[in-house]
Amino acid sequence: MPHKWGMAVDLDRCTGCEACVVACHSENNIPTVGETEAARGRAMHWIRIERYWEGEFPEVQVKFRPVLCQQCDEAPCEPVCPTYASSHSEDGLNSQIYNRCIGTRYCANACGYNVRFFNFFTPSWDKPLHLQLNPDVSVREGGVMEKCTFCIQRINAGKVSAGIEQRPLLDGEIQPACVQSCTANALVFGDLADPDSTVSKLSKSPRGTKLLEELGTKPKVTYLQRGSWDDSQKR
Amino acid sequence: MDRRNFLKVGALTGASATLTSCGNPEHQMIRFIPEEEIQGGIAIWKPSVCPLCATGCGMLVRVVDGEAEVIRNGKKGLIQMGLARKLEGNPAHPISQGKLCARGQAAIQVTYHPDRIIHPLKRNGVRGSGPFQEITWDEAITILLSQIDGLAAAGSQNALAFLTKPMRGQRQTLISRFMQSYGAPPPMNFDPFGDQVLRRANAHSFGHEQLPTFDIAQSRYVISFGADFLGSWNAAVPQSAGYGEMRQGKPGHRGKFVQVEARMSQTGANADEWVPVNPGTEGVLALGMAHVIVNLKLRPGNLAALAEYTPAEVAKRTGVKTERIERLAREFAENSPAIAIIGGTPLAHTNGMFSALAVNTLNTLSGSMGKPGGISFMPQPGKDAPPGTSFNKFVTEQLASPESPVKALLLHEANPVYGSPSAWRVREALSKIPFIASFGSFIDETSILADLVLPDHSFLESWVDDVPESGAGIAVASVAPPAMRPIHQTRAMPDVLLDVSHRLAKPLQQPLPWKTYEEMLKDSFESISPGADTWNNAIANGGVWGKTGEPGVRPLVPLFPRYSEPEFDGEGVQFPFHFLPYKSQSFLDGSLAHLPWLQELPDVLSTAMWSSWVEVHTETARGLGLVQGDVVEISSTQGKIQAPVLLSPGIAPNVIAMPMGQGHETFTRFASGRGANPISILAPMAEPETGALAWAATRVRISKVDAASKLILFAGGMREHPDDHR
Repeated sequence: MPHKWGMAVDLDRCTGCEACVVACHSENNIPTVGETEAARGRAMHWIRIERYWEGEFPEVQVKFRPVLCQQCDEAPCEPVCPTYASSHSEDGLNSQIYNRCIGTRYCANACGYNVRFFNFFTPSWDKPLHLQLNPDVSVREGGVMEKCTFCIQRINAGKVSAGIEQRPLLDGEIQPACVQSCTANALVFGDLADPDSTVSKLSKSPRGTKLLEELGTKPKVTYLQRGSWDDSQKR
Repeated sequence: MDRRNFLKVGALTGASATLTSCGNPEHQMIRFIPEEEIQGGIAIWKPSVCPLCATGCGMLVRVVDGEAEVIRNGKKGLIQMGLARKLEGNPAHPISQGKLCARGQAAIQVTYHPDRIIHPLKRNGVRGSGPFQEITWDEAITILLSQIDGLAAAGSQNALAFLTKPMRGQRQTLISRFMQSYGAPPPMNFDPFGDQVLRRANAHSFGHEQLPTFDIAQSRYVISFGADFLGSWNAAVPQSAGYGEMRQGKPGHRGKFVQVEARMSQTGANADEWVPVNPGTEGVLALGMAHVIVNLKLRPGNLAALAEYTPAEVAKRTGVKTERIERLAREFAENSPAIAIIGGTPLAHTNGMFSALAVNTLNTLSGSMGKPGGISFMPQPGKDAPPGTSFNKFVTEQLASPESPVKALLLHEANPVYGSPSAWRVREALSKIPFIASFGSFIDETSILADLVLPDHSFLESWVDDVPESGAGIAVASVAPPAMRPIHQTRAMPDVLLDVSHRLAKPLQQPLPWKTYEEMLKDSFESISPGADTWNNAIANGGVWGKTGEPGVRPLVPLFPRYSEPEFDGEGVQFPFHFLPYKSQSFLDGSLAHLPWLQELPDVLSTAMWSSWVEVHTETARGLGLVQGDVVEISSTQGKIQAPVLLSPGIAPNVIAMPMGQGHETFTRFASGRGANPISILAPMAEPETGALAWAATRVRISKVDAASKLILFAGGMREHPDDHR
């Protein structure tokens, strides 16, 4: 049976520390675009923390929400791509085949989650910053769309080592960079096709919701809503 | 250079680079990583320790081979070597527990920074103006030796000074022993935004001059007074792990978290209840809660000692309603184990000691001290280093005397010219010193004053060790060998210091018995538990840790502190706003502003990148006719700076706040000339007992100026208003 990779994000644990954001940059060779391009809205963050203010001072509260590609089962980005660069993998990922991409940016327009990023320029790293690059991940050129891959290089490496040892993949064995770094263990990654995996169980939590579910995109990321203290007192 | 040219260069210089590296002293320092460990494309993991803040997270470094451009014996060439590619938390390490924060993730950019100092430098122009000249290590050591020997020959050993950032472990021991044996005063630590006040308060209350460790995971109620404990304060990584467990780790028990502060921090943003208070009255609220707890007989205590802290009186002073004080107090007492945390701004008022002692009283009343879900102190190895010389005393003496009392200053990773209020006149004090040598890896506002630069290895290239002060319930001593060979012509500061100590014309009174820092570390770890495996296991695992016999906390009766009124610089009519600088989530006190990943990391509350900003309450801004992005001038009695306005609903209307970190004059291509430095306009107020800078005790006024705004936000972006970007 093919895998079905998914993630659960526990908003009650997330502290907004952004370790995931830098971990993702480091793992996936995401370019830093600099001040001028950032001011033009061209900064790239495959995962970001959205912040929502609620209420007015002094009764004010904040909610954080890490947003990354939701790896939709019915992904709006896929059918609009004229070159099949945005396509659905066997494991259910919305993959982006960089060397098919001709930069129409239709996919980014179609995506409701604002998680696709376009390389307006071919990135460069002031030497010797290029030595930080992860050799397992290709660097994207100018004119190419890029996005979260659930760290496909780690998924593939996990499959290879399990294959060599002739055993099934273990739950939790594969961790995308954001999940591995998450200081409060708010992010959980795993196989939704395995009903016993932690992520499958969390995805069925009564606190679970999907982002913009009404679009019919069938995301594979489940957000577990924040609890409230009064709820726990009643239990 | 593309691949084809790379190959050409490799073919020309490869052979000579390989041959000439033999017999080079540099080669001796890199022997820890045998070439045969490196296999093409195969990643290996090596332990290390994150050096960027005082938490001391154990990390694992992913090392994969690659081609680096290096210089060996004056020849440039390519070398195939193991290169650090990714940093992760070390899952076995009790502090990091397999996690790293955003800053720790970016630490790799320290090693590969394009503006790192790559060889020794000698000043070549007017001091402070910049030009430096490349010199060899032999020349550099000769210059340093002649200075230190010169002082000894003149009998003025006490005119040598050593200034560092706060250091721990064997580096601190080595520097202290060197200075002591030479006959110089103990080294100075520069840490104006540190936690001296809390350490001293804990010595009074609990007998430990140390930062506390919180068992948040097992706690049912956490009230934090200003502490950004999930972001920039104390051991944020293990504290965040504990916080996650407190929220959802125990089915049926979700702990409550209350944050008390005047400006919403990243930590405060996670609170179930956010309680704004008047700046400087945090301790009053804590004692008000203590009053309620004792009065309702929820805990035994001396009500007479708390007589002036009736809820009505406390409400008047703090701005928190009576009913809320009573409710918070009851919740705190009824949901054991409960923890009260104090850190950051409340300690940075002139009455910081009172507030710290008041919160300690609350903790003593809670009965959770030393228990699961409560507060403990990490067992610490005996402190053999004498307490450091006060930086403020040094500056005062420098400024007071016509001739500089210090004749030679050794500087290591401290940047007081940037990190001090202008009123301290640190640049002036340092400029009087005839000779300054810096071991730092970057030219910053302080090291630009150096006459000689002896660049250190990066932490990934050197032996690292640490003894964390807080963050785990057991004793921890971290150590790790270099994760990779040095890529530049640098040398490890401890090795240089040992080398110099052996070559002095007048030998040290008690010579340092080690040839290398590695030997020193080995000695120190083998003294923890003698045995052949101790050292080998320690360097394989990244340290040693375990339970010790030392008790965590001694039980004490509550100590009721005497009230002291907070004092502020700048009177209320002319300077209507409290000015709260805060440690940036990305840059802390500014020492990390040179890392491009952190510059482009959107601040989590504002989403700002690459810029400074000043947070103003929405209604306050409306009253002043300010809109988001307007540039304002912020004036204190000490000076003025400019920054764009960021409207925030999470700040008291009489307070404005600004992150530290930007506003560097000189600190690499990524940080220089960017934004404004709030530290520069702080008044030199102090907490009286410790002398610590009261960095939240300055009042300011703001006025709109005509300047182009540089507020860059990630939120929104070009899809929302494309016309702005054409």
